Amino acid sequence: MNDLSNPGINSQLGIEWPKNMNEVPKEVFVRTDLFDVEQKRIFRGPEWHAVAHVGELPERGDFKTYTLSNVPLLIVHGHDGEHRVFYNACSHRSNQLETASFGNKTEFECPYHRWLFNPEGELIGCPNSKEYSPGFKQEDYPLGQPRVDSFYGLIFITMHDDTPPLTEWLGEVKPTLIKALGDDGRLRLLGYQKVSYKSNWKGYNDNDGYHAPLLHTAFTLLNWQGGDGRQYMDMARGHLGFEAELKRVPRSELIQDHSLVDFIGDEANMGSRLIQLFPTLVITRHLNVYNIRFAIASGPEETEVHYAYFCHEDDDEEMVKHRIRQSSNLLGPCGMVSMEDASIFHRIHIGSNTPGNAIFQKGVKSFDKLEAEIKQNDETGNLARWEYYRKVMGFERALA
Amino acid sequence: MSAVAANTIDHEAVAQIDALQAGYIHALDSKDFHAWVDTFDTAEDTAYFCIAAENAERNLPIALMYDDNRLRIEDRVTFIEKIWVGTFQDYYTRHFIQRTRCSQQSNNIYAVETNFSIIYTPESGKSDVQVAGLYKDEIIINGSGAKFKSKKAIYDTTVLPRYIVYPF
Repeated sequence: MNDLSNPGINSQLGIEWPKNMNEVPKEVFVRTDLFDVEQKRIFRGPEWHAVAHVGELPERGDFKTYTLSNVPLLIVHGHDGEHRVFYNACSHRSNQLETASFGNKTEFECPYHRWLFNPEGELIGCPNSKEYSPGFKQEDYPLGQPRVDSFYGLIFITMHDDTPPLTEWLGEVKPTLIKALGDDGRLRLLGYQKVSYKSNWKGYNDNDGYHAPLLHTAFTLLNWQGGDGRQYMDMARGHLGFEAELKRVPRSELIQDHSLVDFIGDEANMGSRLIQLFPTLVITRHLNVYNIRFAIASGPEETEVHYAYFCHEDDDEEMVKHRIRQSSNLLGPCGMVSMEDASIFHRIHIGSNTPGNAIFQKGVKSFDKLEAEIKQNDETGNLARWEYYRKVMGFERALA
Repeated sequence: MSAVAANTIDHEAVAQIDALQAGYIHALDSKDFHAWVDTFDTAEDTAYFCIAAENAERNLPIALMYDDNRLRIEDRVTFIEKIWVGTFQDYYTRHFIQRTRCSQQSNNIYAVETNFSIIYTPESGKSDVQVAGLYKDEIIINGSGAKFKSKKAIYDTTVLPRYIVYPF
């Protein structure tokens, strides 16, 4: 049964959603009992979850391990050139197959009973198989796989049978997503910054990605308030797209090494693009930074974020160097612009233990209707996602 | 480069190297960032990197802090003292270091490796390990004493326990 089309009312969780569409009950950020329900309805439910970009696994035999809803995954660039996602567990007794977070292998061996798999997931060796159960056939025991699809190199999985096709699920936000993935998806990994935030995944999600720039002193100091932009939402799935111009500004006296905020390239491509896909994925292309943020809801009060940075395959050496220097210091958990985002995740989580609702203000025009397109500095860009979350979780809106 | 055991290096040089490392962690733990900058050589190409071991082992260049010239090292102090001020929960740090290798690269340049760990204590919070790793430093000794020509803090902690304000 499709959880989404018939979610049922979750009255046993005892959350009544406020009548006004710009309000979110604070308890949803901190109620630990929601976490298991979210795992079932969202993280193992009919949604797509990005687990890797092919640019992270450029060579045949490259692999990456990842975790979604506690399920260990093994993503492998096969010797036939295809990228596959496996459950990271031996097909025999489910011993975790690979423990490294990355590497390159020609075969994967489970040390427990020495079952051996090739990078295409086939079982190619199992000692003493003559003594196995009647009719045992090696070819019946490949590594298990979730449903997989990809979009401009971004690999998604779903663990639910009723998830619609990926392009349909992505909905309205595809044009911005394509830009954020380098226009053609031909990205190459430059490295990671990995950090854990003491915040529920929704607290992370509500405050990463796009938000009003008042928080960012750097924007003010660098005079980055100008430029046209817009935010638009996919109302069916709660995704958000954001596009804004960034104007060249006179060099600020604030910092001495201006390469941190210099843009190299076509004026038309100078800007900020951001995509937020339900439930947790954030992708941004800002100045010359390509950044995919893989977020793992590792517990009710913990979210682990892997900031993966990329260059484009066509970049020359100078451009790669520029991207490395800009990416490292600008937008991550220690970035000039964004360090304070990270601190907000913690503080929102702490503050959400107080009673009442979080009330969105800027850009709210109506209490009973959401708009699909809003101004770039409105804080209402999260509301479509909240409405979708409310429906998926089966929380009823109060009548008055 | 021929590795020279620490005990064959001039005692005076080792003493200066140790004094530099002590000055470095004292500057950070007392949040005197101008003193921190002063532990670096004044040459334009003086560098400070703070990079995950996971990236370093794969030759992935992205760092947590990528200050490949003197100006960027100075700009980092501007981030801390001007840009981020008032936005984060402050924390104390205590660095613990242990020199493990020291060799003379040339006349006045030494390659030094030092284990480090940092205990951090957020305001009104409990103390915990923030990070563990290895400093790989190039230290230059001249008339004005020992300074970092380059300092690379390679941290083992695959997933950092929170956002980072202060250099490692």
